[in-house]
Amino acid sequence: MNKFLNLLYKEIKELVTLQLLISLLFTIFLFYFIGQMAKTEMKKAMRTQKIAVLNLDDSPFSEQLIGNLKTANFEPQMVKERDKQRAIDETKATDANLLLVIPQGFGQSLETQEIKEIETYSYLRTFSLVGSRSSVIINAVIKAINEYLSNDYLKKKIPDLSPEKIKNPIKSKDFVIVKDRMAEGKAEAVAGFVSSQSLFVPIILMMIIIYASQMVISAIAMEKQNKTLETLLTVPISRTSIVTAKMFASGIVGLISAVIYMFGFRFYMSGFMGDISQAAAASGVSGVIQKLGLAMDTKGFIILGISLFFAILVALALATILGVLAEDYRSAQSLIMPLIFLVMIPYFLSFFSDPKTLSLPAKILLYAIPFSHPFLTSQNLLLENYSAVLYGILYMLAVFIVLIIVAARIFSTDKVLTMKLKFRKKKVQF
Amino acid sequence: MDNVLKVAGLRKFYGGLEALKGIDFEVGRGEIFALIGPNGAGKTTALRIVATLLSPSDGKVTFLGYDLKKQPEKFREKISYLPEEAGAYKNLKGTDYLKFMAKFYAKSDKELGEFIKRAQDIADLGTRLNEKAGTYSKGMTRKLLLARALMTRPDLAILDEPTSGLDVINALEVREIVKRFAKEGISVLLSSHNMLEIEFLSDRVGLIDKGRILDTGTPEVLKEKYKARNLEEVFRSALQ
Repeated sequence: MNKFLNLLYKEIKELVTLQLLISLLFTIFLFYFIGQMAKTEMKKAMRTQKIAVLNLDDSPFSEQLIGNLKTANFEPQMVKERDKQRAIDETKATDANLLLVIPQGFGQSLETQEIKEIETYSYLRTFSLVGSRSSVIINAVIKAINEYLSNDYLKKKIPDLSPEKIKNPIKSKDFVIVKDRMAEGKAEAVAGFVSSQSLFVPIILMMIIIYASQMVISAIAMEKQNKTLETLLTVPISRTSIVTAKMFASGIVGLISAVIYMFGFRFYMSGFMGDISQAAAASGVSGVIQKLGLAMDTKGFIILGISLFFAILVALALATILGVLAEDYRSAQSLIMPLIFLVMIPYFLSFFSDPKTLSLPAKILLYAIPFSHPFLTSQNLLLENYSAVLYGILYMLAVFIVLIIVAARIFSTDKVLTMKLKFRKKKVQF
Repeated sequence: MDNVLKVAGLRKFYGGLEALKGIDFEVGRGEIFALIGPNGAGKTTALRIVATLLSPSDGKVTFLGYDLKKQPEKFREKISYLPEEAGAYKNLKGTDYLKFMAKFYAKSDKELGEFIKRAQDIADLGTRLNEKAGTYSKGMTRKLLLARALMTRPDLAILDEPTSGLDVINALEVREIVKRFAKEGISVLLSSHNMLEIEFLSDRVGLIDKGRILDTGTPEVLKEKYKARNLEEVFRSALQ
């Protein structure tokens, strides 16, 4: 009889409850629902935008301008009312979110190069992200009008030159250099693509580490709360096996939960961002990425996986020690907090700052936290800083060995029963 | 009688607090030895030490010749411990729980089957064994746990308040089961503050108070010695 497998099977069976399955399925459904909703709204935003137009000018100039708005993906709807206030009221009843008022004498003022004001009225019907679209529409409308008018003016004044050449007399040819590789492209596009591609990595890491740790802390706390730990500790199996089985089971269930969670999260994000790779292929950035060697290859993913694996092991060992301190399931939930902080610090630092530019104390703090290393691994791999990746993995291995020795020692002594944080007055039973 | 468990000069400190102040007792093969005393006397600490849950601060505990400090794993193979406030895994069915525990002791599938069959007989829970332990009443859980403790026919069963939380009928059943197993050669070390239960169950008793054993002997000898009608009066006299 394999005692360890027996224990591992029991631990998994205890962790995979109906509540867990329902909450996971609900999470996927919720993310899918929000993602689909966001996708629909985004599609709406990309569609031809309806704008109401009150043309008080009626000159050929303004007619031409309105016609030109159509080519800029707008659908002008002419307001029949000639009174401005009534036009505002009439537009309110329609689904247009913008009213454009072309004032009387607009065409004439352009001929004399006087600056004439066009009035815009935005209908803020919601305060959600969709509501802010109206300001984007205004900017696009004004830009389209200015582009049309300036081109028209330049054509009339200097018919031999194209307005494009006059407005942009010089052009730049941009190159990006990463390590010893160079490719033609814009730095912002490359940086944007890489960060959007690796956006998921820290989120996945954070989710897996937190999920797995919570599982193991809860597993130990539940043993204490349900008064099963004492019996388990008297059966003929080594204490190290008890600790390891709990860690393995929590790791497996935590990993599966995180993968399912991320699957749902992908639905959610794709609703907002669309397919990143398709967009990159369309804009030509993917070719630049390939030339610069910034696309993660199989070897990179394996190294990233190893780094993540060690981070999970460290988290599980630390969670095991924290779990021993817990008196019951409720106190276990409080004990997960220090671990969450340890994961959150590198998560935010890796998102918003460059470790190289941090102050020395902040840098020491960042590198001392074992969970920082997998967060930095993907960036280090892309920049071929393999020594930093190796150092991170070895550091996590060392921390894990120390923690697992401590955890096994705690389980081998009285401390597993007597060590606890005093959340309430301690009772000692003789 | 052949003494299988020998406890000598056992002391236990919790920080600066001395819970056991050098106690001595022995348990023979097939004997039921009970530690009786009020709450906080040190009964549970003594049982937890013999069950390898706590390490002794001083003194010597040997079982079938094995030293507790040096070979705790040998102890675990031979003993079975029923804690006072024990529970079963709520998500496991009664049968699954018994199977899970039996697998740590069984050396073959045949033996595993025997253990589970014996446990089913002791627990006497019928089809309720196919339901999750989380749905059991306190009494049912206690019977399941007692079945778990005795199914492997351990050399020493350590039972802390075995009838705790049971109604009169169930408590009587449990006492009969413990007596039956002792007759079959299983040594039993138990604790209780129910002195009438102890009088019925045990072959010998140890009166314990404030970490010291005040006296040991068979209930009859102790009653005669202290000129008492029952163990409650014996205990009161011993304290004086």
